[in-house]
Amino acid sequence: MDREIVERVARIAHLDLTEEELDKYSADLGEILEYFEMLDEAPGVENRGFNPVEIADALREDEPSMEIPSEDCLKDMKTYDGYVRGPRLS
Amino acid sequence: MKVGDLKSVNEKYQMFSAFTSEADVDAKFIFSAKDNLTSKDFETKAGSRILEGYYPPFDATPIAKLRAAGGFLSGKTNMDEFGFGTFSANSAFGIPRNPFDLERSCGGSSGGSACAAAVFEDHVSLGVSTGGSIVCPASFCGVYGLAPSYGRVSRYGLIDYGNSLDKVGLLSFDASDLRKYLPIIAGKDPHDPTSMTQPELELGKNKLKSVAIPKQAMEGEGISKGVMECFDSSIETLKGLGVDVEYVDMPTLKYSIPAYYVIATSEASTNLARYCGMRYGHQDGDYTLKFDDYFTSFRSQYFGDEAKRRILLGTFTRMVGYADRYYNKALQVRGAIINDYKKQFERFDAVVTPTMPFISPRFDEISKMSALDSYKADFLTVPPNITGMPHLSVPCGYSEGMPVGLLFTSDHWNEDVLIDAAERWDRAFTVKHAEVGL
Repeated sequence: MDREIVERVARIAHLDLTEEELDKYSADLGEILEYFEMLDEAPGVENRGFNPVEIADALREDEPSMEIPSEDCLKDMKTYDGYVRGPRLS
Repeated sequence: MKVGDLKSVNEKYQMFSAFTSEADVDAKFIFSAKDNLTSKDFETKAGSRILEGYYPPFDATPIAKLRAAGGFLSGKTNMDEFGFGTFSANSAFGIPRNPFDLERSCGGSSGGSACAAAVFEDHVSLGVSTGGSIVCPASFCGVYGLAPSYGRVSRYGLIDYGNSLDKVGLLSFDASDLRKYLPIIAGKDPHDPTSMTQPELELGKNKLKSVAIPKQAMEGEGISKGVMECFDSSIETLKGLGVDVEYVDMPTLKYSIPAYYVIATSEASTNLARYCGMRYGHQDGDYTLKFDDYFTSFRSQYFGDEAKRRILLGTFTRMVGYADRYYNKALQVRGAIINDYKKQFERFDAVVTPTMPFISPRFDEISKMSALDSYKADFLTVPPNITGMPHLSVPCGYSEGMPVGLLFTSDHWNEDVLIDAAERWDRAFTVKHAEVGL
């Protein structure tokens, strides 16, 4: 795979790769995708879902519930004023 | 070996990423669980540095169910980072050592679970399989490994690798443990909608009377002479048990590896988007950085080599312009492989092959394998996994002193065929204990 494409994919995936990593993944992914070319000739079935078995919606009653108290969920998170803390947006 | 001084045992085998030496004298049984299942009381890292310091506030459903049944969780088992590997060599926290030869792999990615099942008496371990991560290590460590149908066991609390592929199952030295513990962990769970459409687990309805051997799998490259000898001998044993055996054509199997790795890495790349220096694990970032730079800094620093490779591959295969060729095509191919299996299950109770094409490799051999070499080593375990079908590895022989596994795959929801197979096999074959010394 071209280094330029690896760089583009890495940017989308939020990965900052070193020059050495770019070379390595470029070679590895090139070899892997070449092997995957056999998919072009593979037989397929139309209208397959995303799961290997049939899945139906299973919805609970639309009533508020809280099985784990929010303070337990937040105990190991960096917070500010009770909110999860993250980076600035701009 | 009895669970006692886990510290010295773990120093030798590195099967646990976290454990307790405290014993619960009232416990009915002792179990361990792969470290991608959340658990109270234990740090849960899934083999990844990015999750260091994560102490979940809840138990994954299979762990909660075993605890409710009187089980004592003794430790969390070591694994490839997020399940990304065949040899458990991609863990950030030590590599489990094979009890039959410390210079060889336990297999992956549930390598620590297989090791614990082989080393400790009266011990059952929860493993997780996405592409073969229960049966591969079961084969390499000489224990029984059962991956149930996709959706049979709740995935609530499982740290996702591939949502449409992940299955929680069991590893144990004792075949009888499968019948004992599967009904406990199976069943509908409103927290996991994919578990809600399963039919009731019935153990005893279907038995193993006939098996199909796919010619295409056996003719594939790379099955070693030693494994073939064990397999041929196993087929004779099955015939002796009154099981009909026939070679069949399953032409779609050869597409399993590319279809699986496209689906698995596509799903993994989206699942791993959540690890970004907020909420879980490391959160010690520089808040002066911009949004994208902040996330990128954590992911670049704390994801391991194979995690980055799979994120890149999965992001690429579902990108605009490439998704039809890779991701959408892989879903269609999965359908064709399912149909190929279903056709066999009209006439046979199970499909059998060796579990792995070779005995557990030495670590120096693993270090020379390319990423693609490692992916291709899964060509026997990936087909049942991509189809979501239940499968079982039983110890079936020894080559160069190392265990070899026999892989049974049955139709969706027919775990009873596999449990019948395991119990009858256990009466016909003497399973060796690894020589464990400290």
